Amino acid sequence: MWPQVGRRGPSREAQKAPALWRLLFHVLSPRPADDAAALPTPEAQARLVKSALRSQGYPRRALVQLPEDGSQGSRELLLALSWLLARGPLLERLLAQIRVRLGDEMPVCECEVLASPGPPAPRVEADGCVDIRHLQWLMGKLRFGWRNLITSQQEHCALLGKVHSYTRGCHSDRSLGHLSVTEAELLRDPEGGRQLLRRLESENARLEAALEWRRRELVFWQWMDTVLDACPPEASQPTFLPRIPERGAGELELVARELQALQEELQAVVETRRAAWEARVGGWGPGWKATQRASEEAVRQELTALQRAWERGGGLAQPHGPHRLVRSEAGTLGGPGLRATEVIKALRSREACLEAALRQLQGQCRQELARLVGALPGFIWILPPGC
Amino acid sequence: MLPAGCSRRLLAELRDALDACAERQRQLERSLRVSRRLLRVWEPAETPALEPTPGPDTNEEARPPARTPSPQDLKELELLTQALEKAVRVRKGLSKAGGRDEAPSRKSRSIVSPATTASVPPRASGQAGRRASETKPPRGVRQTTVPAKGLPELRLLSVGDQTCKARGAQAAKPEPGLRDQQMAPSAAPQAPEAFTLKQKGLWAQLSSTETGDSMDATTTAKTQFLRKMQSGWPSSRLCAAEVEAEVGRLRKACSLLRQRMGEELTADPVDWMQEYHCLLTLEGLQAIAGQCLHRLQELRAAVMEHQLAPWPEGRLPSAPSSCGGGADSIWSPQLLLYSSTQELQTLASLRLRVAMLDEQIHLEKVLMAELLPLVSTQEPLGPPWLALCRAVHSLLCEGGEHFLTILRDEPAD
Repeated sequence: MWPQVGRRGPSREAQKAPALWRLLFHVLSPRPADDAAALPTPEAQARLVKSALRSQGYPRRALVQLPEDGSQGSRELLLALSWLLARGPLLERLLAQIRVRLGDEMPVCECEVLASPGPPAPRVEADGCVDIRHLQWLMGKLRFGWRNLITSQQEHCALLGKVHSYTRGCHSDRSLGHLSVTEAELLRDPEGGRQLLRRLESENARLEAALEWRRRELVFWQWMDTVLDACPPEASQPTFLPRIPERGAGELELVARELQALQEELQAVVETRRAAWEARVGGWGPGWKATQRASEEAVRQELTALQRAWERGGGLAQPHGPHRLVRSEAGTLGGPGLRATEVIKALRSREACLEAALRQLQGQCRQELARLVGALPGFIWILPPGC
Repeated sequence: MLPAGCSRRLLAELRDALDACAERQRQLERSLRVSRRLLRVWEPAETPALEPTPGPDTNEEARPPARTPSPQDLKELELLTQALEKAVRVRKGLSKAGGRDEAPSRKSRSIVSPATTASVPPRASGQAGRRASETKPPRGVRQTTVPAKGLPELRLLSVGDQTCKARGAQAAKPEPGLRDQQMAPSAAPQAPEAFTLKQKGLWAQLSSTETGDSMDATTTAKTQFLRKMQSGWPSSRLCAAEVEAEVGRLRKACSLLRQRMGEELTADPVDWMQEYHCLLTLEGLQAIAGQCLHRLQELRAAVMEHQLAPWPEGRLPSAPSSCGGGADSIWSPQLLLYSSTQELQTLASLRLRVAMLDEQIHLEKVLMAELLPLVSTQEPLGPPWLALCRAVHSLLCEGGEHFLTILRDEPAD
């Protein structure tokens, strides 16, 4: 359901609330066109929209008070949509997310995966206690799942490799050189090809609508200004319904604990080293002050660069997003594009780093457990081989 | 048995992880189905002699002559095509479309002939247009779009003729369906290309509208609107999504700081200058860690004070991540070049491994936070506690893969 926003002019229809709820729902959680998962009921959609807007900081209380059956509130919903549009490049983001992809794509980062945990499953929370063996079983299931995933992925890559090498020379775009699975499917299955063409057609229509929207955007904002003025003034700050943040606060606490531990470790190391350094350097003359300042400057620059890696917008230096796979024999293609070898190198170093982190955590646990149980006499703890 | 709150939290985490894994598997299965089906067409199991793959270093130009069909194969193919034409004629005669006999036969012959010649000049689009009007699809025969010819189609046919041979060898079933498979290749590659060319133009137009004078007026109008919306609402108040984003950034900061610390601690300074550099770096890291911690405490206070629910129930997967791949990728997809299947497999499995390690580390931290306190606080030292210790050790220290053995140290009497 694509918001043909360009066509939505200053109209005065009052009964647009249900459509606007749906629209907001899809805007706030866009799904690919072929996602067959069932949509929540309209009431549930409305609740999710309210919750998502609130968590993004929507500054009007009137939205929370709207009935969820869609009987009224089209003006407020329109304000909400405008608010989302004004805050960021919503249109471009949505267009990019639901565009038709002709190539075989592989993401080179894990951002999308972390951000989209799939459709929210209404989980029936078992309030009972579980045995730790159930947890062990679940962990085992997870490990098995990952192993399966890796095997399937290997097969998929082998198949992709075959398709790419078989269709070498078939693509009219020389920089690509071969067909992707989607494109090869076009040949095999004319009906599927027609569907793909229809999707491309509708994407073109969307792009044209987006261009239309751009042309008339100013009028829209001027109109929204009048709509906002026409609203009754809001009361003072709303009071939040008190909610006990469950897993959310958990994340914050985890990070706090980690940072605390890190700081303590650094403190210990720094104290000893600084003391040792001062002892050595105590007798040195003022001649080395210049070098000292140079070192300080160099370190300051390095650390600023390090900080940029996690600051807002700092992650853009690394490659992101899905990339189209293109097979080219080594050395033949000098054109633009990310090389697999580089990505592999980066991934290997990240893998090493993560493995070290995991081992360190496990070691910490071992120490802690040894401390907890070692105090008890009367038992011999035989560790598994290899420890 | 674990306490209720702990159970609930741990179950939620593990189920999330299992769901995410299952979702990935589902998507992968979907892609696998398509690819398998595709390759089944090109690698028919019953005719192993017709291996269509050239070696990876075979020259493109050299391919067609290397596989010039034998005269007998050509003859068979010709016979097959004639049979198909006849079938089509009969059908057309029945449906009274009439009068188009030569066009299909001309077209089919023209399909067969490129297979024999090494190089055919690409047809002009004018010819294609004419052919399109001539071969208006007769009723019942599924012909798709404009059968414009071009070089890509040629190559496709040289690969595709293997399939034709295979089919011809299997059974001489004169169905129009087979001819459609032959015809469709000629049609398909051009049509999406036309659309994607148009698309590129549209995307470029869209990007160009982002700058310019008209946009300044729009931006001003937008900012004014936002300000009006925000009035009566203290702008310094954080929203839940922002808190979440910052916590994520700080988590990344922590891991990067720790990584850097590890590098500095393992480095072997050669001279005093390097030593000093190392010391300064560590002090700098400590300062930054302190700043991050301070910021986190501010966030914690904000969450408590305003009762922000950072993770609303039934959370929508809508994090507006900046991962669109950057500005450029929106209009033209970025490429990832690989040189062999082995390389691609390595890349893909490394990606999965990194994701898996990320998840393992997260779960490890969660389990540590929940289970270690249990071991230390549960006082009854009977067998249940021992079992708990054993399970916790296995989960936390061995990744659930190994178990330790506990022996009771009985005195010798």
